[in-house]
Amino acid sequence: MDPSGVFATSFRKDLALVRTRGQWAWLIGFLAVLALLPFFAEARTLAVLTSIVIMSVVVLGLQITTGMAGQINLGQAAFMGVGAYATAVLATKAGWPIWAALPVGGCAAAVFGLVFGMSAVRIKGFYLALTTIAAQFLFHFLVLNLPSSWLGGSNGITVQPAQLPGVRFDTDASLYWLVLAVGALMAFGAYGIARSRHGRAFVAVRDDDVASGIMGIDVVRTKAVAFLVGAFYAGIGGGLWAYYVRFVAVDQFTLFNSIWFIAMIIVGGMGSITGAIVGVVVIRLVQEAITVAGPQIVEHLPFLGGDVVFAAMNIFLGGIIACFLIFEPKGLMHRWAILKRSYRLWPFPY
Amino acid sequence: MFKAEKVDHSWARAVACGVAAVGVSFAAVAADPARAQTTYNIAGLADFSGPYADIMKDYAACRQGVVQWWNDEAGKPLGVKLNVKDYDTRYDVAQTASLWPGIRAELEPVAVFGLGGPDVAALQERLPGDKVPMFMGTSGYGYGWKPGSWIFNARATYPHEAAAFMEWFRQKRGGDGPLKLGIISSEASPAYVDIHKGMEHYAKENPTKLQVVEVIYAEVQPTDLTQQVNRLVRKGAEVIQIQTNTAAVVATQRALQSLGKNIPIMVSAHNSLQASGKAVGGIQQLEGSFESYGMAVPTGEKTQASEFHAMLRDKYKMNANFNVPCLMGMSQAFVAVRSIENAVKDAGGKRITGEDVRKALLTHPIPSEQSFGVLPDLKYSEEAPFPVEGLSVNIGSIEKGQYRIVAEKVPVPKVTKW
Repeated sequence: MDPSGVFATSFRKDLALVRTRGQWAWLIGFLAVLALLPFFAEARTLAVLTSIVIMSVVVLGLQITTGMAGQINLGQAAFMGVGAYATAVLATKAGWPIWAALPVGGCAAAVFGLVFGMSAVRIKGFYLALTTIAAQFLFHFLVLNLPSSWLGGSNGITVQPAQLPGVRFDTDASLYWLVLAVGALMAFGAYGIARSRHGRAFVAVRDDDVASGIMGIDVVRTKAVAFLVGAFYAGIGGGLWAYYVRFVAVDQFTLFNSIWFIAMIIVGGMGSITGAIVGVVVIRLVQEAITVAGPQIVEHLPFLGGDVVFAAMNIFLGGIIACFLIFEPKGLMHRWAILKRSYRLWPFPY
Repeated sequence: MFKAEKVDHSWARAVACGVAAVGVSFAAVAADPARAQTTYNIAGLADFSGPYADIMKDYAACRQGVVQWWNDEAGKPLGVKLNVKDYDTRYDVAQTASLWPGIRAELEPVAVFGLGGPDVAALQERLPGDKVPMFMGTSGYGYGWKPGSWIFNARATYPHEAAAFMEWFRQKRGGDGPLKLGIISSEASPAYVDIHKGMEHYAKENPTKLQVVEVIYAEVQPTDLTQQVNRLVRKGAEVIQIQTNTAAVVATQRALQSLGKNIPIMVSAHNSLQASGKAVGGIQQLEGSFESYGMAVPTGEKTQASEFHAMLRDKYKMNANFNVPCLMGMSQAFVAVRSIENAVKDAGGKRITGEDVRKALLTHPIPSEQSFGVLPDLKYSEEAPFPVEGLSVNIGSIEKGQYRIVAEKVPVPKVTKW
């Protein structure tokens, strides 16, 4: 719903994401703050934000596959791992620069995701979830059992810092800027996909794939493309991860991570691109709050013991996610939409 | 006549004495370096809410206890105090990677206490640039066997420890043929895969000493291994090696009981006889099984290590049981504090850095007496992140229902890189 007095006078304006000058000002200001953060933020804050942006890219992909297209996917961490390994192999063994290794890593993940996407065209719900879990185990199996000269086996792969002509990304600030630039590009693309006919096809298939097929949407192609695009995003996130941690090993991409990604889109709001980012931010910030608050509580209440305090706080984190599922399954973006609407209508109720 | 007034100089004398006393004491403080303490920070990575939360209490308490003791006994004369601050990493790579920049900026640590694989994965590429060495309480891994490392293990690799046991057991068994070994492993973790690859490599290089009859790949938490263990029995396995976890030990022991076979199981520190015995329903059920690792074995017997633990408990109010997690915490703490001690002595009064600590570790051996028998003699080199020569292990077993040390300082045979 637009603010009072704002209305589109063309189809192009109607489609626009940023609709008023005020919104442009906020967006530019926000991006400027993000860009200038390394100059005034603490090292820890920068590191947390870097990991938030990397995870946001992965979760954006999951939002496209699951939130928009309705294809349950419990293998997003495996797709991220494929992207990480592909990027690492190209960067270390083939000596490719980041601007080539990263997109090709994303494409490798997309192809791997497409394999499981093809199963999505025939099955759905619980059975599709099981099939995507198989992606996790297959990824694990392949990495550990293929010749170690190919993917490092149990040794993992060490990655040298990313480099562009004249720039070496080996400091916290430079890594943050790299990740932010790629993340912004991927978010821009995700918004574009959501607004496009592909996005509308995803939503139609999610809402009713039979009716969509009758309406003329190629359901098979749409589902496969949803997996392809979602896995591509995961692969790009994996590539960024490889350059950030500079060591990839198979146990960094587990089923547990996939479940956390699902939790992030639930908390943020399924189907909303902004919701994916919000979900990542909320969950990561709560995790960080636990890490910071935990030692303080242990210090002041030593009789509880560190194990009890930290375990209790993580149960609290899981409880937050369960509460969202029960009380607000549409996520934070739904609450925000209600708040915005009521603010714009105020003092009228409708 | 003019009478001179008597002037009372007592207050002036008192003031002069006071000033002199203050001056002398200032001079004494300035001259006595022990009074002027330098504090160095150590970052303690911990897992209070992840898969190792249940052992973290003893682990963290014991490493803190060693540092407290060192501050009193060795640090004070040197004018040095070590401060350990624990951070919960949840045994997660992402958490460790995002914590590290803040830890570095806040503490400027001269050393890090690492916990396991995620810490290594997250920090191995950063530590050389940040010039901070990390000390681990676990065994090393084949994939970490690289020169010029900044991450150090108090013990050699799991295959080193297992190879020592196999050679000891083969000699105890007698006879000429190689010892037939069955391995229960899992592909759930690269660490597990690395262990059995190391054993296969050792067996290949020593065919007259060891023969791996089969490596069984089980789930990470197997419930029933009867069929798989039966295969090992049919192939004539004389010992079964399980260095993964307690669940695998329980499943294997149950399988052996149902098959009516009495093949000894060899475990490591993290899935020790104590922990596995508790899981299987009583230590007596592991009668005749063994554990082998390169640090003290925490039986009820009085040893130098157990006495040191008792001292920490009594004098420093350390609240930790004497068990394997405690010994692992002590191991990494001893290697760290002795390296810092040597670095401080080498620096001769100048402030030390992480680089100095690493250099001291590589240039000064740590004899077993300096760790009160918790660790054997340790000599590090640039070749590997753990000592590769002069290694020994201790072997514990369950004999007549009692947890005992059956062999000490068993030499580790030569194990080459795999």
